[in-house]
Amino acid sequence: MTAAYVALEGGHVIEGRGRAPGTARGELVFTTAYTGYEESLTDPSYEEQVLTFSYPLIGNYGVREERFEDDRVHPRAVLSRELTDDVADWLESEGVPAMDHLDTREVVTDIRDEGAMKCGIAVGEDVTEEDALAELEACKEMSEHTEIGAQVSVDDVEVHGADNDGATVALVDCGAKGSIVSSLLERDAEVHVLPYDAGVEDVEAVDPDILFVSNGPGDPVNFEETIELVEESVGEVPIAGICLGQQIVAEALGGSTEKMTFGHRGVNQPVLDLESDRVVMTTQNHGYAVAEPGEHLEVTQVNVNDDTPEGLDGIEHDILTRQYHPEANPGPEDTLDFFDDVLAMAGHHSQRAVPADD
Amino acid sequence: MSTDHQRGGDAATGDGRTILLIGSGPIQIGQAAEFDYSGAQACRALQEEGARVVLVNSNPATIMTDPEMADEVYIEPITTDAIAEIIRKEQPDGVIAGLGGQTGLNVTAELAEEGVLEEHDVEIMGTPLDTIYATEDRDLFRQRMEKIGQPVPASTTIDLDEGESVAELTEADLEERVQAAVDEVGGLPVISRTTYTLGGSGSGVVYEFDELLRRVRKGLRLSRNSEVLITESIAGWVEYEYEVMRDADDSCIIICNMENIDPMGIHTGESTVVTPSQIVPDEGHQEMRTAALDVIRELGIQGGCNIQFAWRDDGTPGGEYRVVEVNPRVSRSSALASKATGYPIARVTAKVALGKRLHEIENEITGETTAAFEPAIDYVVTKVPRWPKDKFDDVDFELTTAMKSTGEAMAIGRTFEESLLKALRSSEYDPDVDWDDVSDAELEEQYLSRPSPDRPYAMFEAFERGYDVDEVVELTGIFEWYTERFAHVAESTRAAQEGDFAEAAIAGHTNATIAATAGGDVDVDTVEQAVPGRTYKQVDTCAGEFAAETPYYYSARKSEFDSGPLEGAAAAGELEVDRDVESVIVVGGGPIRIGQGVEFDYCSVHAVQALREQGIDAHVVNNNPETVSTDYDTSDGLFFEPITAEEVADVAEAADADGVMVQFGGQTSVNIGDPLQAEIDRRGLDCEVMGTSVEAMDLAEDRDRFNELMDELGIAQPEGGAAHSKTEAMELAHDIGYPVLVRPSYVLGGRAMDVVYDDAELEEYIEEAVRVSPDKPILVDDFLEDAIELDVDAVADGEDVLIGGVMEHVETAGVHSGDSACMIPPRSLDDETMARVREVTEDIAEALETVGLLNVQLAVRGVDSDEESTVYVLEANPRSSRTVPFISKATGVPIAKLAARVMAGESLADLEIDEQIPEQTSIKEVVLPFDRLPGSDPRLGPEMKSTGEVMGSADSFGKAYDKAQDATGKPIPESGTAIVDLSADEFPDPETDDGAALVDGFTDHFDLCEEVDLEEAVTRGEVDLIVSRDRDLLEVAVEEEVTYFSTHASAKAALEALEAKDEPIDVQAITGRPKRTAEWGR
Repeated sequence: MTAAYVALEGGHVIEGRGRAPGTARGELVFTTAYTGYEESLTDPSYEEQVLTFSYPLIGNYGVREERFEDDRVHPRAVLSRELTDDVADWLESEGVPAMDHLDTREVVTDIRDEGAMKCGIAVGEDVTEEDALAELEACKEMSEHTEIGAQVSVDDVEVHGADNDGATVALVDCGAKGSIVSSLLERDAEVHVLPYDAGVEDVEAVDPDILFVSNGPGDPVNFEETIELVEESVGEVPIAGICLGQQIVAEALGGSTEKMTFGHRGVNQPVLDLESDRVVMTTQNHGYAVAEPGEHLEVTQVNVNDDTPEGLDGIEHDILTRQYHPEANPGPEDTLDFFDDVLAMAGHHSQRAVPADD
Repeated sequence: MSTDHQRGGDAATGDGRTILLIGSGPIQIGQAAEFDYSGAQACRALQEEGARVVLVNSNPATIMTDPEMADEVYIEPITTDAIAEIIRKEQPDGVIAGLGGQTGLNVTAELAEEGVLEEHDVEIMGTPLDTIYATEDRDLFRQRMEKIGQPVPASTTIDLDEGESVAELTEADLEERVQAAVDEVGGLPVISRTTYTLGGSGSGVVYEFDELLRRVRKGLRLSRNSEVLITESIAGWVEYEYEVMRDADDSCIIICNMENIDPMGIHTGESTVVTPSQIVPDEGHQEMRTAALDVIRELGIQGGCNIQFAWRDDGTPGGEYRVVEVNPRVSRSSALASKATGYPIARVTAKVALGKRLHEIENEITGETTAAFEPAIDYVVTKVPRWPKDKFDDVDFELTTAMKSTGEAMAIGRTFEESLLKALRSSEYDPDVDWDDVSDAELEEQYLSRPSPDRPYAMFEAFERGYDVDEVVELTGIFEWYTERFAHVAESTRAAQEGDFAEAAIAGHTNATIAATAGGDVDVDTVEQAVPGRTYKQVDTCAGEFAAETPYYYSARKSEFDSGPLEGAAAAGELEVDRDVESVIVVGGGPIRIGQGVEFDYCSVHAVQALREQGIDAHVVNNNPETVSTDYDTSDGLFFEPITAEEVADVAEAADADGVMVQFGGQTSVNIGDPLQAEIDRRGLDCEVMGTSVEAMDLAEDRDRFNELMDELGIAQPEGGAAHSKTEAMELAHDIGYPVLVRPSYVLGGRAMDVVYDDAELEEYIEEAVRVSPDKPILVDDFLEDAIELDVDAVADGEDVLIGGVMEHVETAGVHSGDSACMIPPRSLDDETMARVREVTEDIAEALETVGLLNVQLAVRGVDSDEESTVYVLEANPRSSRTVPFISKATGVPIAKLAARVMAGESLADLEIDEQIPEQTSIKEVVLPFDRLPGSDPRLGPEMKSTGEVMGSADSFGKAYDKAQDATGKPIPESGTAIVDLSADEFPDPETDDGAALVDGFTDHFDLCEEVDLEEAVTRGEVDLIVSRDRDLLEVAVEEEVTYFSTHASAKAALEALEAKDEPIDVQAITGRPKRTAEWGR
């Protein structure tokens, strides 16, 4: 049997069964979703992280590419109680170390109590605890990954739906999930995917109806160029954002963000819309949140559990952002109409459009 | 934060409002203890909101009918007459119908239709009636689904025209209508269903046209709205249920989904069910989730409900689905979902009915989140049904779309294998199959292809024989992922045989099973050292994301990297029980089955309440998801575990419990007394099995030793003894003289008991019903014909004895005590006999050194004669009995609680409780499952067959009996046409005085049926009441839902009821019924 060790911040080492060889390090986080492992594993927001599945059985319905959110696996390593051979083989082919037969609930409750932490992993025939500890030693904080944008973004502009008649969207790719693009395409938008460090001139070249800042991994302040772009674009073009996108918009408009203890990762996060007073279920994957929205943004939706801002509206300008993932995949489809609202704000009512909240 | 939203707002509460809550009545197939759980939880929730709760239920064995559960508790028939009377008295502002199962829903609909609700200005709270109709009427339902673009299986209805009757319908006419319907849904096979029935009664997949014609004719007759539904068969698809919660403000969430292991075509109540889903990808799951929300919004349901889907992988990323049906109320599935996730569906439903919104309701489990979230779970839950297969030799237990199971067990594990094996163990089902005698062909045809209660075991057997996964998938239709896991279990068992134990332990086997499997000189100690121990994990609704406060736990084996027994904190895992205070474990009763119903849950819950009142921490070990005992706030520690000595001892060790109570959970808990004591000794735990000693319990069940003891005490017993061979049995029978009562020793609910009248019958019994062997003796007893049977329940503390009550059976010996109606107080006994009854009970209590409950079954002969009567003891059991709740409800004396308190060290003298004798008569009547089990023998006899009970109280015996019959749902008609067939030996000859009295009595109220072909007359709906013991005739009566009486005693009682029809219905809250403080038999 292949040996496997994960060393947690503080030096505690847990043994498990090796499922895909290699060494890795990253911030240890967990998701509570019990379906959607293919989508989660290909979600760029997990870049530089080690993903623990709290649900014990992962891989039950196989691995199919059409369910991927990106063309590669993003977490640096994977921990689970039980991985099927399908998933283990896939991770091995992607060079992502994985281990199972460990008590993931203990890992999860550790993270809950101690906060998201650094970890090191070593899986292989001859690896030892020391190898895992060495990885841990080399592990950086998420805020130290200043180059993370480049790891997850497109290098050059990509255009999708060039023949579409709807809105023209400039999507700034900070690690965008595929479902954001497809949700826009389904609504007849022409989507120009721009690198995370695109400048105003790049946006002007597209002449979009809306500037859309995508989700992405880690600390929003690592995306200086994107923050600058938003700052310069406010008032010029309507702006939308999802997840990291919301945080970038807040940073750009004078608000602030903060690191959460262990973040929100799962498909059951309740969000209350303050105007309709209704609760919807959302998919979330973030370790940072908006602390203060600043003077130009109003909080329109909050998390029912901890009151963190889940939706922001521009007070003077056309801005609409969500902390959660309206595009689902994985997770509930309760909030897909966000895309209709965004396109309506851009002046393009999509087929299934409903009026925006305001 | 700049937000100002509020949680726990008090916008809508129940302040000052009176709310009527309707229960579901007796336990029956399709409606078990789940509504006691949901009703009890709802009562608490409504009272928390300041509402005044009036509760009505006919089932005395429930916790919800305890006087302290509601402001007023009525144990009355769930009929429009009785409830209208309650409404007149209590003037409720609203009624909640969605918590009492189909029974509660139906009676509410009837009350509305009769105008009672409108007359008294009673609002239907929660889901509106129109919605209920839209879900029950499948045609209407389909239209609504089509309107919102949801795919449903093609379907059509066959119904009668206005004023048309089934009898008038010609065969040709029927054929034409049925053919048209079949064509419309795409040909045979189809699913035929009758609308408005419980648990899918009378429905099923039909392959043959002739069979379909028969079903449709019957269905049209039985349906409340003369309608039969024909739908496209989607057999083979995966069946899902989604539990949905919606508030009046349209926030709408999914509690969980459930996946049936058995493919579509088997009722979900009959299927092994897993939560959460394992084999549907996220996209398919989300499509169904969204559909569920859309459907529930379209229908306007408020509170908890359930929606069923069929799904298959058609090659697209999300697969393809159909909406099958919606249950607009809490259900068996919602009880399961609540226990599986920790989300209290009934509680939230009750609050939603008062107008609260989900985010205004606290999540008690975490204490820091609200009811507006979807539970995340990090374990696998498996539910396995429990069937009464051992009780009904004549019934085919092939699993179909109609329910036949009486109860279920649930288990939680970290892997499917672990949860499956724990669930199977919890179901306490043991296939009556010797696999060595089963050929491969028989295994395939009888046990793999044909779904039955034995199939999971047959799958293990197949893998043992070397079948591969593909073959088993092909034969069973069970999905590959699951079949692979069954194969893995079989592999782990094989590894254990070869000395590798860890994998078997992690797969979910107990150490004891592994030691037995390994054989040789492998003992439990050896296994224990080699395998990872159990630790405890919390059920917290959130997969560990928030620190939960609620002590709800399951065990899981650690991984192979942690071998060896876990002790102390390691074993305790996430337990937050207080290991330093005095604590006691109450062992529950497991799944509901015939002979062991909700009454043992009642007893368990009372024991827990009593301990907590005494300041002792009470923990529960049980595995029945339907019950109150497994509600997270019933105890100080809930352990959802199989009931085996090893697993209970593990809990005792982890929680550092000081004692274990095994008296309250019926035979299930009593059976582990002995092995548990041994296990506690083996481990050297500082923990005792409390109350009456295990030794004394054994003595009471050991026929020979018990006989000796009775002789010493000078207590009469029917002549008899134990026979270890056929020859011995014959000799005994001759010594005693026929008729004799025969049964295997160590019985549960009179399994395979019979009365035989001669050598031939005795031989037949021994050869066919039981296999007698030296270690499995049979008991042969004098059959006391015409004796009056009594049940006595008492509490003893080693010094004093408190008699809870003496009950007289309506039926004579020959009908199992569990199937006999009984009355309290008795009416046939004189003072001297009662005094003797007391004396006998006290003597037995003393002799058995009883501490806790004692049930004594007695027979009395000679009460009518001039000489002194004789009191015989038939059985004595120092433990809870099925009559405990009935007695407590009739007398107001909570004997189960008293028992727990004396077991924990208090004395009866300290408790200062007086015996109470009711001034009125209360009747306990049983409910029988024959309509659900085609082919069963519908005559009362020595085998117990009833699933549940009801209670009726009134001044006269006749009225109380009449009310009890009303409550069973088989009321005695006031007039009409009757068959009085006294041809069986059971009845007196019509020429005798007794016989003539019966015939004349019924003739006073009924026209006697003059038809030659009685069965035909019944089939045509021309008969209203039957007195007979002709099995064929009674089977027709069952099918046609005609009230019948199969014994002389019940027929006489029915006559008294007829005479009492004019007396007022006498609806009263139970606390208001008169009683006097006096001692029984003194």
